[in-house]
Amino acid sequence: MFNRNPKDEVKFRAKIVILTTIGLSAVLIANLFRLQIIEANKYELLSKKNRIRVSPILPKRGRIITSDGKIVARNAYRYKLLMERCKGKNFQENIEFLNSRVKLEESDLARIANSRKKRLPLILIKDELTWDEYCRLSMILFKINGAFIEKAYAREYPMAFEFAHIVGHVSKNKNDPSILIGKTGIEAELNDLLFGKIGNVQTEVNSVGRKVRIIDSQAPIDGSDVTLTIDSRLQKYVCDVLSHEKAGACVVLDISNGEVLAMASTPSFDPNLLAGKMTRDQWNAIANDPLFPLLNRAIDCSYPPGSIFKIIVAFAALSEGVISPNDKIFCGGGVKLEDRTLHCWNRGGHGYMNLSDALIFSCDCYFFELARRLGINAIAKYAEKFGYGSKTDLELSSENVGLVPSKSWKLLRRGTSWKPYETLIVGIGQGSLLATLTQSAVMFGKIFTGDYDFSPTLIKGERKERVKNPIDSKLLEIIKEALRRVCLYGTASGSCLTDYGIFGKTGSSQVRTIKTNEAGKDQKLFQWERRDHAFFVGCAPYKNPKYVVAVFVEHGGGGASVAAPIARKIFDKLMEK
Amino acid sequence: MRNRFFQDEFKILFLILFFLLYISFLGQYSAGGGRFNEQILRHLIHIVVGIGLMQAAHMINLRYWKNSAYIFYAVVLFSLIVVEILGIVKLGAQRWINLYFFAFQPSEPMKIALILALARYYSVLSPLETADVKRHVFPFLLTVTPAILICKQPDLGTAGLLVCVGIGMMFLAGFPWKIFVAIAGSCATLCPFGWFFLHDYQRNRILTFLNPDNDPLGTGYHILQSKIAIGSGGAFGRGLLEGTQSSLNFLPEKNTDFIFAMAAEEWGFFGSLFIIALFLALCGYFFWTASKARSDFAKFVCYGIGMLTFLHVFVNIAMAIGLFPIVGIPLPFLSYGGSSMITFAIGCGLAMSALGRRK
Repeated sequence: MFNRNPKDEVKFRAKIVILTTIGLSAVLIANLFRLQIIEANKYELLSKKNRIRVSPILPKRGRIITSDGKIVARNAYRYKLLMERCKGKNFQENIEFLNSRVKLEESDLARIANSRKKRLPLILIKDELTWDEYCRLSMILFKINGAFIEKAYAREYPMAFEFAHIVGHVSKNKNDPSILIGKTGIEAELNDLLFGKIGNVQTEVNSVGRKVRIIDSQAPIDGSDVTLTIDSRLQKYVCDVLSHEKAGACVVLDISNGEVLAMASTPSFDPNLLAGKMTRDQWNAIANDPLFPLLNRAIDCSYPPGSIFKIIVAFAALSEGVISPNDKIFCGGGVKLEDRTLHCWNRGGHGYMNLSDALIFSCDCYFFELARRLGINAIAKYAEKFGYGSKTDLELSSENVGLVPSKSWKLLRRGTSWKPYETLIVGIGQGSLLATLTQSAVMFGKIFTGDYDFSPTLIKGERKERVKNPIDSKLLEIIKEALRRVCLYGTASGSCLTDYGIFGKTGSSQVRTIKTNEAGKDQKLFQWERRDHAFFVGCAPYKNPKYVVAVFVEHGGGGASVAAPIARKIFDKLMEK
Repeated sequence: MRNRFFQDEFKILFLILFFLLYISFLGQYSAGGGRFNEQILRHLIHIVVGIGLMQAAHMINLRYWKNSAYIFYAVVLFSLIVVEILGIVKLGAQRWINLYFFAFQPSEPMKIALILALARYYSVLSPLETADVKRHVFPFLLTVTPAILICKQPDLGTAGLLVCVGIGMMFLAGFPWKIFVAIAGSCATLCPFGWFFLHDYQRNRILTFLNPDNDPLGTGYHILQSKIAIGSGGAFGRGLLEGTQSSLNFLPEKNTDFIFAMAAEEWGFFGSLFIIALFLALCGYFFWTASKARSDFAKFVCYGIGMLTFLHVFVNIAMAIGLFPIVGIPLPFLSYGGSSMITFAIGCGLAMSALGRRK
C-alpha cells in the first residue's frame, strides 16, 4: 500500500475518506432505526408522560341525613385563590396587587415564595377565602393574567356536638389535601358510598406545565346520601338530658326493627374543627381533656355491667335448671367463701329471696349462689348468647367487644388459674367482666324480641327478613315480669313508676374494692373518680314493648339514683310521640 | 456560455439544495409554531443572501481564491483575535462579533479559510514532498492556531471540528501512514488527560452523555428530550406542526442544534432517512466534483468542503440521537443561523467554481 504511484495516493486516500463517510452514515441510520422503529413505543410513552397530565375531578360527597330529614353532614364550598407561574417581575406585581385586595398572612407569603422556588406550575395564594374576599376578588381578578379562584368542597356538621360521635368527621388526605376522607364514625364506615367516584381530566401541558388543551375527560360520580336511623329531635333531647352529667352515654333502640333512635355520649366535641382548619391549641384542648371527649362512651368503652348482668345469670340458672323460680335462698348480707367474705350491697341482708325478688331488689347473695351453682363456663355461654363479648353489628367499627371471662381466658391472659370467688363476682356483673352500654341495650332487645339474633343498626334501609332464633319464652316471661316489678316497687321504683309501664334494671359497678368502713356510705361523699358507674337499662311500654333505653353515667354513683331518672325522662319523651 | 450558473453539472446540486432549503424552511416554520414570525423572515433572508453568496463565490475564478487564500485566512484569524478581545458574550460564550447589521461568528468563515489555506499549501507540493513529515508542520500550525482561539471562546465543538477537517486534509494530502497511525494511537492514550483542561459545563456534558438518565432534569434533559422526540416520531412521524415535543417546548434549541430531532419527530424514520440521504448526496456531489476538478487546489477544496459538510451532519445528528456529547454544531442549511448558512453557501459556490474551471 505504500508503494503506489504517488499520483494515485490522493485518490486512494479519498476512497478511505468516502468509505468512512458511508460507514458513519450507516451508524447513524442504524441508530435512527433503533430509536424510531424498534423503541418507538417506549419513546411514544415517554412523550405522553411529558405532555399529558391527568388531574382528578372530585365528586360531591354524599350528605348524612337523620331519619326526620335533618342534614347533619353537608358540603360547603371552599374558595381557593390560585395563580399560574409567571415571570418574576409580573409575579411580584401580581402578589402586591392581590395583597392590597385580600390580606395575605405571613405564612401565606412564605408558602408562595416556597412554591415559586420549587417551580410549581400552580401557586396557592390563599386558602379558605371568606365570602367577602371571594366577592371582592371576583370583580378584579380579570386584571391578573393566570390568577383564578378554585372551588373546593369542605365538610360542615350543623348539629356538631349532638352527632360528633355517630357521624364522625372527615380529614384531608395527606397526599392530596383537596380529597376528603372519612376518619371516624359513619363518615369513615360508609366512606366509599359517601365519596362516590373520582372523575378525571387529561390535559396537555407544555414544558413549564401550563395547560394547552383538554384531551379527554371523565365526569365524576357524586357520592350517595346516607340516612341515619337517628331522630334528630330525640338525639337533641337525650344530649340535653345527659349534658347535666360530667360524663356518660345513652342509647335508645327501637326493638321492632333494631333501629338506633339516639346514641349520645357526653362530653362531646366539635367535628368541624377536626374536619377543617384547627389550631394547635384547639387540638390540644380536645386531646388533653381528662374526660376524653373523642370517645363514644356508648360503644368505645366497656365497663363491668353491674347488676344488669344478673338478668343473664337468672336466665342461665333457669335454663340450666339449677334453680326453680320459687326456690328461696337466704341473704344474710354476705357470703363466706374460703378466706374471703363477699358482701351484698345491702349489708343488713335481704332475708329469704326467690328469683323474682332477687332481681327486683338486686340481691347479690342470691346471685352469688346462682353463680356458684352454674360455674363460670355456663355463665360465659349465656353471656355470649346474649351478645356480650362480641360486637353488636352496629355500623361503627370502633366498637369495643368487651370481655366475657372464662377459665381458659384467665389461664391464657393472666397466667393464673381461675379462683372460685371470681365466678361469684362475675355472677353480679363485676370483676373482669366488661361490656359496653350498647351491648346491654342489645341484650334487652334480645329479651324483649325473644330473638337471640336481634341486632341494632344506625342506617335506614331495608333490613333483611330472617328467621328468628327464638329464646325460651316461658322463662323469658318470668324474667320480664321481674323486670316490670323492678320499676314498680324494686330498685328503680323511685323514678320509673309510670302509667305506660317500664321494664328495667339498675346497675352500679364498682371501680375499686370497697373498704369495710365505706360500705353503705353515700356515693356523693366520694371523689368523682372513686364513685361507682351508674347504669340503667329499660324497655317500654308495658303493652307491646317497643323502645329500649340504656343510660350510663360515668362515676354517677348509683344506677337507681342517677341513671334511672335520666332514662325516665327519655321514656316520657318517647311516649309523648 | 456566459450563464454558467445553470450548466448541466450544477443541476443535481441545485436539486439537492432545493430539497434541503425547502425542508429547512418547513422546519423553521414548524419550529416557529406554524406562524410567519420574524425568525422565519430572517431565515428566508439568510437563504437569499446564501444563494447570492453562492453565486458570487462561483463567479470568482478559483485562481483568485487560490492567490488570496492566505490573506483570507489571515483576515479571518485576525477577526478571531478581535472576538477574543471584544466579542459579544451570548449564551455564555464569546463567539460573535458585531457587524452592526448582524452579529457575526468568525469561527464559521474560519472553516472555509482553513480549507482554502490548506488546499493552497498542499496544491503546490509534489507527492514526494508530502511524504516528508516536516512539510506538514505548517498545515498543523494553520489548523491548531484558530482551533485554540475558538476553544478559548469557549466552543469546543467547532474547535474539534476544525481540527478534524485539518487532519482530514493532511491525511488526504499524503501525511505519512506510519506517523499518522502512531499519532492517532498516542492521542487515544492521552485523551483521558485532556479531562483536566475542560470547563465544568463541558465535563458535565460528557458525563451526562455517558449516562443521560443520571440527571434527567439537569444536563441530561436535552439528550433525553431529543431522544424522546426522535423515538416518538416512529416510522412516519406525527406530521408537520404536530410534533408535541417541539410545539410544547420540551425539545430545547429546536430551531438550531436540535432541528433534526424536531424534523424526525414530525416526519418519522423515513423523513429522517430522506434528510440523511440528501446530505449524503450533497457530500457525494462534493467528492464527485473533487474527482472531476482539474487543478489540485480545486480538488483539495472540494474534498475539504465535502468532509466539512459531512462532519457537521454526522456530529449534529449523532448528538441528537445521543451518540455524541452535546456540542453546538449546527446542521448545514437546516439550522437557523446566518453564519452557518453563509459558510455552506460559499462552500457550494466554491465547489461549483471548481467544476466551472474545467472548461
